[in-house]
Amino acid sequence: MMRLAFRNLFQNKIRLAISVGGVALALLLILSLDAIFSGVEQRLTVYINQSGADVFVSQSGVRNMHMASSSMPASVEKKVKAVPGVESVTPILYLSNMVVVGDERNLAYIIGLPEKAVMGKPWKVSVGRDQPEEGEAIIDRNIADKSGVALGDEVEILGQDFEVVGLSEEMTSLVNSVAFISLNDFEALRGSPQVISFLLVKVSAGESPNTVAMRIEARVRDVTAQTRESFAGQERQVIKDMSTDVITIMNLIGFLIGLAVMALTVYTATLSRRAEYGVLKALGAHNGHLYRAVLAQALLSVAIGYALGLAFTMLLSDLIPRMGLSLILKVSGASMLKVSGVSLIIAAVSAVLPIKQISGLDPAMVFRGK
Amino acid sequence: MTLSRRNLFQDKTRLALSVGGVALAVMLILVLNGFLDGMNRQITLYLDRSPGSIVIAQKGVNNLLGATSLLPSGIEYKVASIRGVEEVVPILSQFVILDLHDKKQPAYLVGYEPAEGGGPWEISSGLQPKRDREVVFDRVLAVRHGLRIGDTFELMGKDYTIVGLSNGTTSWMTSFFFVRKKAAEDLFSAPQATSFLLVTLSKDVEPREVLNRLNDLPGVNALTKKEMAINDLKLFAKVFSAPLKLMVAIAFLVGTMIVGMVIYTATVERQREYGVLKAIGAANRVLYQVVAVQALLAALTGALIGVLMAYGVSQGIMVARPQFLIVFDPSDVGRALLAGIGMALVAALFPARVVAGLAPAEVFRR
Repeated sequence: MMRLAFRNLFQNKIRLAISVGGVALALLLILSLDAIFSGVEQRLTVYINQSGADVFVSQSGVRNMHMASSSMPASVEKKVKAVPGVESVTPILYLSNMVVVGDERNLAYIIGLPEKAVMGKPWKVSVGRDQPEEGEAIIDRNIADKSGVALGDEVEILGQDFEVVGLSEEMTSLVNSVAFISLNDFEALRGSPQVISFLLVKVSAGESPNTVAMRIEARVRDVTAQTRESFAGQERQVIKDMSTDVITIMNLIGFLIGLAVMALTVYTATLSRRAEYGVLKALGAHNGHLYRAVLAQALLSVAIGYALGLAFTMLLSDLIPRMGLSLILKVSGASMLKVSGVSLIIAAVSAVLPIKQISGLDPAMVFRGK
Repeated sequence: MTLSRRNLFQDKTRLALSVGGVALAVMLILVLNGFLDGMNRQITLYLDRSPGSIVIAQKGVNNLLGATSLLPSGIEYKVASIRGVEEVVPILSQFVILDLHDKKQPAYLVGYEPAEGGGPWEISSGLQPKRDREVVFDRVLAVRHGLRIGDTFELMGKDYTIVGLSNGTTSWMTSFFFVRKKAAEDLFSAPQATSFLLVTLSKDVEPREVLNRLNDLPGVNALTKKEMAINDLKLFAKVFSAPLKLMVAIAFLVGTMIVGMVIYTATVERQREYGVLKAIGAANRVLYQVVAVQALLAALTGALIGVLMAYGVSQGIMVARPQFLIVFDPSDVGRALLAGIGMALVAALFPARVVAGLAPAEVFRR
């Protein structure tokens, strides 16, 4: 019966291409949307993960960076430094703003870095320096390429012109990029001295970041201290919670489209082989055998469609960054597993109509030419 | 026409599947576009409903939602003294992340002075905030999280009490909520700070002239609300247009494939009949028409059903998830029908090739 399924499937190449292509596109819809959001999650946490900090200290109740605001008195730095187990502390200022080049405006996290910052600097600088002095900025290479900016050129941040002295890598997401200026410039432009946004804390050798974070919260008032992993986890959660509903709706639509394509192709394939199924029945084949052939056909098409959809998503995830787009696609294991499940359901449901058709087939009809 | 209709209607299930496939594809295109239109309306909600016609932001800031703005201190009085300015409303606003029932919910906090304006434009129940720890919360967001007037929630380490619920302040990405300006200043550790000034101009003044005068002030960027709304829309379009276009393209391809396959199978199955027609002198053009009409009938019926389904599905989505706004423009419906016709024409190409390559003599050899 497996051979019959194979033959039925591969006999009409155009129908096969359409059915497999249709399923591949429907699954691509689900896979690519998942991949887009996973890509955003990954990129949004790059700064946190590569900052070098073991613990992030923020204003009480502020648990992430994206779309958040944190303000603490600068004096908190001294208090945190005094907590046992803290090796070093780097204060940063942070807000969302624009990197402006001519008419091109790019949303960015603007980070104000102190002189000789130990942590929080751009982690991968392809050209230039990783520490901005006054009047200088480090921006993402993607943004620079897109806007035609090179080292030594000027960009506008917070309404002020800055000379680009470094280009960082891998910090652009679909939403924004990250740009660095000096802490002094940041303070002057914001007009709010003696305030910091976050403290990046390195713990002493042998100390657990978790214990030190708890110690900081116990000894310093009005702050929230989290380990790097926990802070990054909260950041990912923001994207997850924002995207859940959209992903659910899109997944449902992708599922329905995949189902329609598969149902149609398996149905027409069975219909055109109606006479052969009748002959098989007349020769004594049980309905169960024929059902298995139809199901195998559906499973095979869906499996090929899944492989193609996955391959195409992988190809897109490789091609899109090369095209200079800030859209990053990351295919996760969870997403692949989910789409496998969806594919199985599509195959099973799409086989129902043809199975009904076969079960009602009267072998004698075949010989009457109907 | 009769031949096309007969070919198409001969197998009802196949017809239903093909029409259903196109309907799904058209529905997807419409819902996606409707979602984008709805999102655009939600993005400009505050600018559309707040007072004034001009917004003053920090120099270098030309968005309301995209960037944080902090104006130079004392600017409010300088702006008020400019000729042609009738009223100035200061607000301190910022995106924040609320932790509501273990869910992270981005929201746009607006700090305003109830006596001056810039707050909620429609309070469905309750009052404006009178004290620093009181808040007017978006009604839809409150319902989603089971919050009522009198309930408290935590924001950046401080507890706030809901004293009013506002209508028309919902958005998929971020809903608006309102506190007194002083409360926002405390929350952001920014005493006397102002993010934006909402400026109402006197009657009989030339807005451009006043705008130029305002832009002469140091450290500010003055622009019309319309310009700022366009900037916000551009910013969000930049983020969402690429994934959305990808999905619309997929939907179009799937729809085309479905119609193509149905018409192709119907044509192949009737190959002999087409051969006979050719043998008795029917021109290829006539047969192409038969194929194209079949494709058009299937695609247009599917597209029409798709429009109805899109309407039903979007209503369902908006009832189940009131934070989504899906808006159908008549032009969107027109575009969806055009997409249906486009699907039909592309889909008719394959079967037309089959018909064109058919040798009439073949029919009699079988």
